[in-house]
Amino acid sequence: MKRRKKKQNRIEEWLEIPKEISTQKPKLTTMGFEELFIENYKAILEYQDFYIRLSTHIGIININGFSLKLKEMTNDDLLVTGKIESIDFEKTVEE
Amino acid sequence: MYIQILKNYLLGYVRVTIEGYFIERLMNLCLKKGILLWKSNRKKSTLLETNVSIQDFKRMVKFAKQSKCKIKIKQKKGLPFLFHKYKKRKIFFFFLCLVVAGIVFLSNFVWNIEITGNVKIAREEILETLKQEGVNLGIPKSKIDTKTIIQKMRLDRDDLAWVGIEVKGTNVLVKIVEADKKPEIIPENEYCNIVATKAGKIVKVNALNGTPLVKEGDVIQQGTTLIGGWLEGKYTGLRYVHANGQVTAKVWYTTTKKIPLKQEVASKTQNKETKYSVRINNFTINFYKTLSKFQKYDTIEETKKWKLFSNLYLPIEIVQKTNQEIIEEQITYTTEQAKQKAIEEARKELEEQIKDKENISNTYINYQETEEYVEAQVTYEILEEIGTKEKIVF
Repeated sequence: MKRRKKKQNRIEEWLEIPKEISTQKPKLTTMGFEELFIENYKAILEYQDFYIRLSTHIGIININGFSLKLKEMTNDDLLVTGKIESIDFEKTVEE
Repeated sequence: MYIQILKNYLLGYVRVTIEGYFIERLMNLCLKKGILLWKSNRKKSTLLETNVSIQDFKRMVKFAKQSKCKIKIKQKKGLPFLFHKYKKRKIFFFFLCLVVAGIVFLSNFVWNIEITGNVKIAREEILETLKQEGVNLGIPKSKIDTKTIIQKMRLDRDDLAWVGIEVKGTNVLVKIVEADKKPEIIPENEYCNIVATKAGKIVKVNALNGTPLVKEGDVIQQGTTLIGGWLEGKYTGLRYVHANGQVTAKVWYTTTKKIPLKQEVASKTQNKETKYSVRINNFTINFYKTLSKFQKYDTIEETKKWKLFSNLYLPIEIVQKTNQEIIEEQITYTTEQAKQKAIEEARKELEEQIKDKENISNTYINYQETEEYVEAQVTYEILEEIGTKEKIVF
């Protein structure tokens, strides 16, 4: 199982497939301190004016700030606008 | 993403407020089912405002019941709602369609002809030639074949170096480059004389080929042969040649100006009145009384063509008439003033005629004074080359 995964990775590397597609890791892009674009997320756990908690395949993303708005929202990407103060991650422990 | 939002604007969307304790659950449900939410804003911990499209809204109501949330519509936006608002105003729509159809219909015709690049040729002359080729105000655009018209125009007139015709909107742009008339060139193997173009006094004769017939100091008339196109030898006899050479002469340009001592000069006052009228083809609608309130006045008429965009002219003109009141005053000049004025005007007129002012060698000024007027005669003496070639006709 482990070996197979490694082989797949090598093929994907050779084909230059973007990482956010081949792996299910989230990609975060910030424009200044007012915009945050998140790709590859699973669900919204909590959404408040000052706090957003998102679950992804590898852990949880916490966003702190003021007057946070979800400007655009689709199945696999999310655009957060507002005054973002901090972003932190909680990695889920692998068995 | 933006395309999706634009599509939703076209198909209509609503701004809703969602109230409940499990808003996150509803949002996740929407995401899983592919419902697009945008511009979401959490007002309170139990209140969410968001945009959703009409079709998705119906599905969303179902999920809201599942997650025990209340949904209220706050605003309806987008084109379907806009149309719904104007649905009852049928006559308004009918006339809107009529106006649009009218504009589309009228835009198939030519309503303006613009001519640029003409300096010597009058605008009316070009319009006349265009008329003969079939380009006129009010003809359908499809009838204009620019290529053949350009070819015909260039064949008809020899003073056009280049013609370009472009149809833009309801506007026909005619661009013209004028050609200078070329002097007739006589080939080297033919015989010719050199002939004076102007009357004058010869200063220098420089004959390169041919027999000079005039000397320095001769006064000649226009058309006199200056250098003959033949050579005479003792043994060879008379032999015709292609004459060549330069003849420089003093040429006089004269004008006279008469200035009467007592003159009536019209001067403008501050009073003005503007009147408007609308002209459709040749039918004019006046918005004023035709009689002016002034006794004496100048009328300036300005027409503006009505156009929609930069090149889409319509057959409607707005005519602006400005009447300017005029007061006539008697002015009496002293002889000295009149002299000055006459000279000034004469000089101005002369300088327009003369191409190169550097060659002016002398100026003469004569006066004639009477009790009623002053007459000034100004003469410029200019050194010029006056010879041109003329073919010898046997």
